[in-house]
Amino acid sequence: MENRPLSPHIQIYKWHISSLVSISHRITGIINFFMITLICIWFAFMLLGESNYQIIKNFLETFLGKFILIGITWSFSFQMLSEVRHLIMDLGYGFELKTTKITGLLVIFGSIVLTILIYLIGRGLI
Amino acid sequence: MVQINLPKNSEVKKGKYFKDKTGSKNLRKINIYRWDPSTEENPRIDTYEVDMDNCPSKVLDILNKIKNEIDPTLAYRRSCAHGVCGSCAMNMGGKNGLACTTPHAEIDGDIDIYPLPHLKVKKDLIGDLDGLYKQYQSIEPWLKNNSTKQTTEIYQSKEDRAKLDGAYECIMCACCSTSCPSYWWNGDKYLGPAVLLQAYRWIIDSRDEERKARLKKVSDELKLYRCHTILNCTNACPKGLNPAKAIAEIKKMLATANV
Repeated sequence: MENRPLSPHIQIYKWHISSLVSISHRITGIINFFMITLICIWFAFMLLGESNYQIIKNFLETFLGKFILIGITWSFSFQMLSEVRHLIMDLGYGFELKTTKITGLLVIFGSIVLTILIYLIGRGLI
Repeated sequence: MVQINLPKNSEVKKGKYFKDKTGSKNLRKINIYRWDPSTEENPRIDTYEVDMDNCPSKVLDILNKIKNEIDPTLAYRRSCAHGVCGSCAMNMGGKNGLACTTPHAEIDGDIDIYPLPHLKVKKDLIGDLDGLYKQYQSIEPWLKNNSTKQTTEIYQSKEDRAKLDGAYECIMCACCSTSCPSYWWNGDKYLGPAVLLQAYRWIIDSRDEERKARLKKVSDELKLYRCHTILNCTNACPKGLNPAKAIAEIKKMLATANV
């Protein structure tokens, strides 16, 4: 009887907004963990003088550097909004199916809007 | 532990194809997970062409039709056929539900039918739920009253009775627990939404005198706090209950009460 197979699970289960937001919350959490470390290293470099700072600045001005910067901004925005959603849920609110869908969508679109806002503010355009 | 891939003996292979013999124009392809314990073979997906002109509205009707008219070797659980017994819980079109209350019109394209996810399969669509029943037993789902002298009925106010609404209707079909990724990865320790909803049902019962002990029992990193509000459970429940909210309420009680 030990030979019994395990029925398929994540391979076949349909995604919906809450599960997507939940898994993205974890992924962005891991990204943020590494990115904060990276930012700390960047700051440490500054202590060593201007030329070291310049190396990282030059990298961040390349296409890849810009992609990473915008990526971090989105990942932080997402994590922040999703965390607020979780805090509200921890208080016992927002568990109705319709509400979870709406708050989930708010987190997804809100994170994109927040990323654009931070970009525009950072550029001094607003 | 998180194990994304299926073990080697569980990998699903392509199976047989049952072509339609009725000559109907209104056909639908039904893909069903099959596993025969009497052979050493891996599970497979058999495909059936089913004549939808002569088939009632629910997924269970399709299964009955296949078993009666096409392939009698198909094994699945069913009993009441109107969403009360919870026997025919399975995964249809990627979502858990009761085959007897899920209309096949709600599923687009070919219909994929699997057993409830992440269970040891006994045969075809029948999963082994022993682990879940043991966990259910562990929360001691009965009224505990310490006064041995009382022989009369224990009264309950209307307000207190209303607290049980949304918790007592559970039919233990396991749709919620087997939809939960946390339960997939930690099913041996995490109690899962179905059992925690029942734990909640006894915790909030005004007639029960073991509230504190019950709370203390579920207050455990693995038993309770593996819930990360993914909400697959609430999405899956065929009775429209909200296990995720019940779990949140237990967490809240633990955070506010001095247990």
